[in-house]
Amino acid sequence: MSILLNRETKVLVQGITGRAGRVQTKWMLEYGTNIVAGVTPGKGGEEVEGIPVYDTVAEAVARQGAEASVFFVPPPAIKEAALQSIDAGIRLIVVVTEYIPVHDVMEIKEYASDRGVQIIGPTSPGVITVGEAKMGIMPGNMFTPGHIGVISRSGTLSYEISINLASGGLGQSTVVGIGADLVVFTNIPELLRLFEKDPGTDLVVIVGEVGGVQEEKAAEFIDRWMTKPVVAYIAGYNAPEGKRMGHAGAIIRGEYGRGTPQSKMAALKEVGVDVAKYPAQVVELIQKHLMPP
Amino acid sequence: MRLYEFEGIDLFRREGIPVPDYALASSSQEAREKAQEIGLPVIIKAQVLTGGRWLAGGVQTTQSLEQVERTASRILGSSIRGFPVQQVMVTQRVETAREFYLGVTVDEYHGTPVVILSAEGGVSIDKIARERPESVASRPVSITKGLLPTEARRMCREVGLSGRELTQVAAMLGALYRVFRNYDALLAEINPLVRTPQGNYLAIDAKVEIDDSSLYRHSDLKLSLDDRIPNPLERKGRQIGVTYVELDGDIAIIASGAGLGMASMDIISRRMRPANFLETGGAITADLLYKVMDLVLQKEEVRAVFINVYGGINPIHEGAKGVVRYMQEHGVTIPVVAKALGNHQEETWEIFEKHGVHVVTEVSTEKGVEQLARLLEGGT
Repeated sequence: MSILLNRETKVLVQGITGRAGRVQTKWMLEYGTNIVAGVTPGKGGEEVEGIPVYDTVAEAVARQGAEASVFFVPPPAIKEAALQSIDAGIRLIVVVTEYIPVHDVMEIKEYASDRGVQIIGPTSPGVITVGEAKMGIMPGNMFTPGHIGVISRSGTLSYEISINLASGGLGQSTVVGIGADLVVFTNIPELLRLFEKDPGTDLVVIVGEVGGVQEEKAAEFIDRWMTKPVVAYIAGYNAPEGKRMGHAGAIIRGEYGRGTPQSKMAALKEVGVDVAKYPAQVVELIQKHLMPP
Repeated sequence: MRLYEFEGIDLFRREGIPVPDYALASSSQEAREKAQEIGLPVIIKAQVLTGGRWLAGGVQTTQSLEQVERTASRILGSSIRGFPVQQVMVTQRVETAREFYLGVTVDEYHGTPVVILSAEGGVSIDKIARERPESVASRPVSITKGLLPTEARRMCREVGLSGRELTQVAAMLGALYRVFRNYDALLAEINPLVRTPQGNYLAIDAKVEIDDSSLYRHSDLKLSLDDRIPNPLERKGRQIGVTYVELDGDIAIIASGAGLGMASMDIISRRMRPANFLETGGAITADLLYKVMDLVLQKEEVRAVFINVYGGINPIHEGAKGVVRYMQEHGVTIPVVAKALGNHQEETWEIFEKHGVHVVTEVSTEKGVEQLARLLEGGT
């Protein structure tokens, strides 16, 4: 079992004829993903890795039954691509693209939430249901099947944590990179809710970082709703105030005293979540939960 | 990207928000001429991309042309929180009957614009919200519908405004929301909006931050990010397309993602001190990593380089070629330790090892940092 995605999910790749789209399509197929179609306006009728390409999402849905879509679309084209996909009936979208204007993200988010469509990203490494399928750019060899759910604000740390978990004998069910922009389409609590319901997941790891209030909101949710154990790691203990640490969302705003790793750690510990100070420490904290003395 | 006050004021004018007469000056003589045109008394305001101008003496009222020259000369030579003052704004002084605070920003978590209004202005909105919450109204706005005039008027009523004050301030809120929307702002703030004894409404200050990712569609504003970054290395990072943050240690970090970069920083900080934070994002090429090596080695005190990259979307084997080319061309002798995993990892290891880079094949960054520490202590 898993959340969001499995080997049956009929996946569409938007921007399939671009450089990243082509390479990643090949790797997603090799991993076992059920890719049924690609879309690039003006390239309808072509094929990429044997996958038929259409001009519009509506055609890809009508002809191939596509139900989920992963975006390798440049920033100026994202809004149109997203609205088109939502209107065509796509239920899950993964946005890998970086540097999408925040106002576009807000518009798409409002449109999607009115219609019950789940979007992951932007600036997301993707979603991988380990051993079954992946939508995005996560390298398959970083993951091992198992029963730990992972929610990460950082792409690279989702790999680092997963490969460390595996070396400690802990596999993963589904790993989701929510993206690291100022505004993301899906917040951590929404994914906690899905993992809580998923019989294939025994424990959830949250990989947070400085900036924003995702971890604080996650703590509130955990306190009210989670019965499964949660373990966290927060990156950026040594981040200087007021400096954007790459991700648009990763900034400790000194003037409001917000977004500090200390406040996140305190909020999580308050509700009984063990927080690792370094990535590899996550493994020890989980072993404590899963193997009682 | 934070805008200078005069740039924000210009956006306000475009959307119909009245502002006092003003001019820019980059010398004391020029300030004097502008003051003469505008008419005394005038206010001299340092143009810097940071708060705290008042406290630092960067905003001064002047009564005579001699005083204008003296004050402008002093402010132009100064630095405020590390930002050298290169320009001052000379503005007409406005009489004040009442001050308001108006702001539009982004609720990051819910992903909606938020409009904030306070019947008291001129001081920190956080302070007012804490001490007199009844003076402050805020509401989320549907970005597809925009701020409706009735919503703006309702907010004015909530903070106790009525009559002409209500309609005028509501109109200003509408105009400020247009600034926010039309220019992809993350923050648009008037603090204070002033009502003069004659009943005119003027924006006295402008704090505007524009979303960097949206700049491609605002080329008419001719905004450049580069010249807004005071740290030369951070500016250079920006120019080559990476995020570089200077720190005060001696271990250089090159990471292929922000999270990994921060984790590396955290782990290195346990026993050593990072010289910088650097993340490449998803655009690694041989050329980029060549430039990145050059950037992190600009600091003379750097005594080792720690490379931490994952091959997801990044072709890390290409990146490795850039690193070793730089090392060869510049005779780099300090230890370079690389942890590289993901797609093309074996090829990447081979390139690194052939050229004297210490490769970490273990899966945790902690192990990589341990190896680095051992090397620096003289072991292998």
